[in-house]
Amino acid sequence: MEERPCAVLLKFPGTNCDAETSRALEEVGFVTEVLPVSALKPEKLVGVSLVVLSGGFSYGDYVMSGRIASLVTEQKIGKTLGDFRDNGGYILGICNGFQILTQLDLLPSGSLVENASGRFQCQWVTLKNLAPKSPFLTHLPEEFEFPIAHAEGRLVTKEAAEAAGYISGGVAALTYRDDVNGSFERIAGLQDESGRVFGLMPHPERFLHRQDHYDPDWKGTGEDESRGSGYYFFRSLHESITKSN
Amino acid sequence: MPDSSTLSVLDKIAEAPADHYRVLKISDLDGDTLLELSKFMKLSLSREDMLAVQEIYREWKREPTDVELEVIAQTWSEHCKHRIFGATITHEINGETETVNSLFKTYIRDVSQRIFDQKPGFVLSAFHDNAGFIKLDEELAICLKAETHNHPSAIEPYAGANTGLGGVIRDILGAGKGAKPIGSLDVFCFGAPDTSMDHIKAEDVIHPLGVMRGVVRGVRDYGNRMGIPTISGAIQFDDSYIYNPLVFCGTAGVIPIKDIEKKVESGMKVISVGGRTGRDGLHGATFSSAALDTDSHESDQQAVQIGNPIEEKKAADFVLAARDKGLIGFITDCGAGGYSSAAGEMLEECGGVIDLDQVKLKEPGLVSWEVFISESQERMVLAVKESALPELRKLADLYETELTELGHADGSGILKVTHHGKTVCELDCSKLHDAPVRKLKATWKKKTSPVDAPILTKPGEALKDLFTDFAIVSREPVIREYDHEVQGNTVLKPLAGASGDAPQDASVLRISGSKRLMSMSVAILPEWGKTDPYAMGAACVDECVRQMVASGADPDRLAILDNFCMGNPDAEEELGALVETVKGIAAAAEAYGAPFVSGKDSFYNYFETEDGPVSIPVTILISGMGIIEDASHVIGASLRRPDSLLAIIGHTKSELGGSVFARRHELANAEVPATSLDEAFKCYRQYYEAVKQGLILSAHDVSEGGLAVTLAEVAFSGKAGLEIDLCSLPMDDDASKAAMLFGESPSRLVIEVAPGNLERVAKLFAGLPFATLGRATSSHANLVVEWGKETLINEPIKELKSLWKNGLAQYY
Repeated sequence: MEERPCAVLLKFPGTNCDAETSRALEEVGFVTEVLPVSALKPEKLVGVSLVVLSGGFSYGDYVMSGRIASLVTEQKIGKTLGDFRDNGGYILGICNGFQILTQLDLLPSGSLVENASGRFQCQWVTLKNLAPKSPFLTHLPEEFEFPIAHAEGRLVTKEAAEAAGYISGGVAALTYRDDVNGSFERIAGLQDESGRVFGLMPHPERFLHRQDHYDPDWKGTGEDESRGSGYYFFRSLHESITKSN
Repeated sequence: MPDSSTLSVLDKIAEAPADHYRVLKISDLDGDTLLELSKFMKLSLSREDMLAVQEIYREWKREPTDVELEVIAQTWSEHCKHRIFGATITHEINGETETVNSLFKTYIRDVSQRIFDQKPGFVLSAFHDNAGFIKLDEELAICLKAETHNHPSAIEPYAGANTGLGGVIRDILGAGKGAKPIGSLDVFCFGAPDTSMDHIKAEDVIHPLGVMRGVVRGVRDYGNRMGIPTISGAIQFDDSYIYNPLVFCGTAGVIPIKDIEKKVESGMKVISVGGRTGRDGLHGATFSSAALDTDSHESDQQAVQIGNPIEEKKAADFVLAARDKGLIGFITDCGAGGYSSAAGEMLEECGGVIDLDQVKLKEPGLVSWEVFISESQERMVLAVKESALPELRKLADLYETELTELGHADGSGILKVTHHGKTVCELDCSKLHDAPVRKLKATWKKKTSPVDAPILTKPGEALKDLFTDFAIVSREPVIREYDHEVQGNTVLKPLAGASGDAPQDASVLRISGSKRLMSMSVAILPEWGKTDPYAMGAACVDECVRQMVASGADPDRLAILDNFCMGNPDAEEELGALVETVKGIAAAAEAYGAPFVSGKDSFYNYFETEDGPVSIPVTILISGMGIIEDASHVIGASLRRPDSLLAIIGHTKSELGGSVFARRHELANAEVPATSLDEAFKCYRQYYEAVKQGLILSAHDVSEGGLAVTLAEVAFSGKAGLEIDLCSLPMDDDASKAAMLFGESPSRLVIEVAPGNLERVAKLFAGLPFATLGRATSSHANLVVEWGKETLINEPIKELKSLWKNGLAQYY
């Protein structure tokens, strides 16, 4: 039997999407470990293919979202995550995890600030797949839906031109079809130059099954109609990792 | 310690000057002085209660410490002990007198017990634990608990609602050996958002809009941070809630059946996990057992706290990990009464010692009673084997929560509390729970009378008018502030259908580790209770049950909770309304075989305004959990096909009372429709048969706004127009057009069926009220309702939806 790649899900106080994200990864073939940050050491990443920062409110996000989590991570393991990526490792940040990744400078620079509405927004959005070759998106169509649930998902850059450059340069992997939260260039997800670090505000782990969709008559987009688009997000990732190993 | 700048009653009777505790000489005091002492110490104990306490200490031939008095006050407070539901009530109904020996025993517990006996193995735990459990499958059980946090939310809406949800989540964490919270419900009663300031007849009362915004944000910030989806809820708007808003918070949980039973054994260590203890939250339990006035907005600030959801999240992660490792003997939350209640509950049979010197404090200088009764948030209390301590400490470090050893259970039957090397409390636990039974009087007289229905000249305009009413407009701006999809299990969301924003009835959660799902719903109809509380009670149970059944739940596997709120229980007519409500819910629960598994009540929701006291109407929230056998049984409330047929289940009555239409058309005291319980339940069982056979495409309950509103809501998915004819509507002979379109008779469902399946469905309902109403059509996008040749309504669905969607959005 083929060996299952190992994913570590970092858990900060206030991280709360680790269980369902772990479930999603297991379903597509990963072995997972949820690792509370108190136990984080550089050697914990040895033999690991994927590090996931899942959604939630790390340390409450009372100061800028993801800020404290990024400081604690750096204090615990320094630049280990950068080395991990350079050595072929994959890093995924979902929602709060995306916020943390931007704070850790593992993604193109930008900040996730309060939505233009000033509200927390829990809703479904249509996303455009701008990077069909991304290891995270190979099995997803040009357009698909994921749910979002965030108060601070508006991606801003110092200059508006920077965000436009992310679109032309190919690091903006996902955009919202509609203006959902005021994000520059409607950016919903970013990847780094290596393609192995990926951050997105929407929640693929909440859409593993067709029945997770709000419309009871939603037709699946993948080969298995009982599956939701989120499943194919994780499956793309699993396939990319097993191929590259 | 209470203010001692002047020589208080406390100083006069204390044996020694203020230290960390005092012995109080009460044995020779008269009733007046005892009452004065109770008021001074904010014990909320009555003269009779204080005399009973005095008697207990006379028997023991000693004097109480202030800690002991506080412990007794907490234990006997309405909040903890439900004294009014246990009272002997002389109830006069339409001139005839009856005696009720405990509303709880007669109408809640005994009714439920009879249902438990009929359904052995279904209810696994009820009434004695933090939440009631029902069996989901062979391995897992689910539970639900709802609480109110009314007084704190009136004074500080954000913090009050915040800690209200935080508290009920802890109830679930402390249910069994620790259940996992999987979904929350929130139900609010406010004054209308457009209330004029001149209309508020007291100072310092927060405007309903401020209350609403604060409360919603409070719930949002706790629920979202805890990672528990807020999936179910309701908001009622009525002037009577301006001074006393109501905030109900509920949470459901899941647990392995083997972890439900918990026990304290002699020798076990008592530990506290989570937050530290401070002066915040002193006298919360006794404070919520008294009425509000303008002064409350200043003086009771101490009783309201700010929540810290991350502290609770860390404690929750710890508790669930510890449970899975089998390290927990007993667990309960620190809620009302703080350590005194938690330790009291834990050690009431076994007895044991708590050392207050071990308690980790937020600030120095707390005296003994403050440490013991402080309701500081985010604390859980556990009893564990000593051998488990090292591993528990490791887990606490892993999840970054603080673990403190407080004492141990010793088998003595005595609750002993020490502080600074002295015994500050030594109580026989069995005595703590013998509060005197109250004797109360209640009266209720029929208030309704037949009222002629108004002649509808323009039903379409009346329908549009209803879609602007706060009772009906979309709660979308509030719902979207809550993360209702975290945990990835929300199959039927509060807003769904092809458009993603159409209203649903119950919400449905997948349960990790099971093939079965959980349906959850709420029902609250205060408008009905103003004139007919019995009908309100029955209809609330009906609506809650009906919503769960509509979503695909098995009608024979439902359980419900009763949460009561009322004004002044010493006012005979108000108490009479309560008694009638309780009778109503009991009759419906028994007819439906839906047992109560938990409940809570909140009294003294009245306010002294410039114009005299204003009480809320007796308000009952029925919330429920039900089991859905298979994911294929889940049914939403929105139209799915452009060519399907629509049918109605249930009988339309002529009465308009309690309806939104009646309120808008000022039909005062109109008769309220009764619930035909037996017929309704037969319909629900047949509907479930149809669900199991895959014959139902969608189903929406008929509730606020009546049939016309329901039909429009069904079509809000945007799939098609509707062509309806009311000719064959099963109804009273004398039902008016208003009653047909806008009456709110209970027990009705509008269902969508594929044309080829109609005959099979109709057969299932032979002998029951059932009729085909019309069809979906792609030839137009209007709601067309005819009655024979007369067109009653012909309105673009888009226009109705726009009214509905924007009604609340402009205020929130």
